[in-house]
Amino acid sequence: MNTLSFDSKRCERIRLQLDSYLSNELLVETATEIVRHLESCEACSRDLESRMRVRDALQRAVAKQPVPDSVRAGVLRKLRESQPRSFTRPSATRWAIGLASIAFILLSLFAANWMSLRRGEQLIASILKLGVSDHLICAIKDHNYPEVANPPDQIRNKLGVRYAVLLQVVQERLPGFEVLEGHICSIPGSNRKYIHFITRGQGTILSVILTERNGASLPKGKFLASAESAGLSIYEDHLSGMEIAGFESAQYFAFVVSDFSQHQVLQVARELAPALNEKLHVTGHILMPSANDGVADSMTPRILTETTRCNEKSRCRVQEQRQNG
Amino acid sequence: LERGLFFRPKVQLEGFEAVAMPHLTDLYRTACLLLRDRHEAEDLIQDTYLEAWKSFHRFEMGTNCRAWLFKIMFHRLHHVRRRLVKTSRIVTIDDPDGQVELAAEPLVPQEIRDEDVLNALAKVAVEFRDIVLLADVEEFSYKEIADTLRIPLGTVMSRLSRGRKLLRQELAEVARSYGIDPRPKQAGAAETA
Repeated sequence: MNTLSFDSKRCERIRLQLDSYLSNELLVETATEIVRHLESCEACSRDLESRMRVRDALQRAVAKQPVPDSVRAGVLRKLRESQPRSFTRPSATRWAIGLASIAFILLSLFAANWMSLRRGEQLIASILKLGVSDHLICAIKDHNYPEVANPPDQIRNKLGVRYAVLLQVVQERLPGFEVLEGHICSIPGSNRKYIHFITRGQGTILSVILTERNGASLPKGKFLASAESAGLSIYEDHLSGMEIAGFESAQYFAFVVSDFSQHQVLQVARELAPALNEKLHVTGHILMPSANDGVADSMTPRILTETTRCNEKSRCRVQEQRQNG
Repeated sequence: LERGLFFRPKVQLEGFEAVAMPHLTDLYRTACLLLRDRHEAEDLIQDTYLEAWKSFHRFEMGTNCRAWLFKIMFHRLHHVRRRLVKTSRIVTIDDPDGQVELAAEPLVPQEIRDEDVLNALAKVAVEFRDIVLLADVEEFSYKEIADTLRIPLGTVMSRLSRGRKLLRQELAEVARSYGIDPRPKQAGAAETA
């Protein structure tokens, strides 16, 4: 008869560790020690076997527990139901992104247009500044006009045969204005020449100036134009204390400059533009003589050019072109 | 801003389902055994998955998703039990670790029927039942159980030992009810022929 030392200290210690052994939570050395003991101790082996039997039975019984399909369906439904909130946010975010994109595009277009307008305004101002400068230097500062208007024939002689026809346009289209002077002029230091009609009306001086565009052009766009006359866009600005209206015709820029009101200057330009445009288009491109050498236009051999100083102080040179014969 | 608060593309929910749904069966069976009420268990599982989905952005892919889900479930289970205790549908023991030590090793019948072991488990106090299920059925490590139940490792060990013994005792009672006379083991030496 074998007597198992059931109450032995060793069995007691082993049994205290059987649960950890069953859960595989022991160190290898301890587990090995228990295995050795179990090999020699039937009581402890029975104890372990009993515990394992219960564990296996429990695992088996739990694994057989049915899981209705409704459980999975219910969970998925709950998750899907939680989606609208989840989707609302991205959807709202997408809307926000979309609206922000549209706003950005609109702002970009607005900014581009604004920049374009600004550039256009700057270009207009830089071109109109020519007319203001010509008016201020030649008419106002140097006073290159007589108190009593020069005879029309004298003015025509100064302008030469090709520009003489313009005098009539100015006279006809500016009723109430007296044409005091007409000449071809240039500002010292500049090769640019301009045809200058100096008129007087309503107690003040008004210049009608034509100058070659030389490839430059006023910007297109209704937003930039101040008025329109016979299909011509008229641009207006207030520069150096003067009101100036200008338009583009054939190869020329035409300016009306005065210290009148904006409305009056625009009105004069509107009256002048169609007839002047017609004459300039009929006349075609006219090569102006050089400001320095006064060489006659090669296309107009009959024109004699005489360069004189119209005013010593301003050194503004008036090229008096006379028709030869 | 937390990643999960805003962008929740559908693909992420599908990813969550792919990772989390395979553990539904284990969670549900455990919930049933812990609550002994299929409707309560179903609600618990739905709440568990919903909470897991909400905090899925905090889950690190590649880590133990099953343990993460069980942790969430037991966290919610705590609130469910408090509610059920108030309505007297569940009984807990005040000091589970201080329960009277079981004297002799109970003799477990050789053949254990499924219903017997489940009935026996149902009679084990919930504090022990939790750990027995987590250790013996779900086969979580002590550390994972401690983390899931937020209790010390030593408590896990002691409660598991007591829980298993209580289960064996209940099964021994079942054996007696079947007319099997399990020989109670004596504290002293045992003789074998």
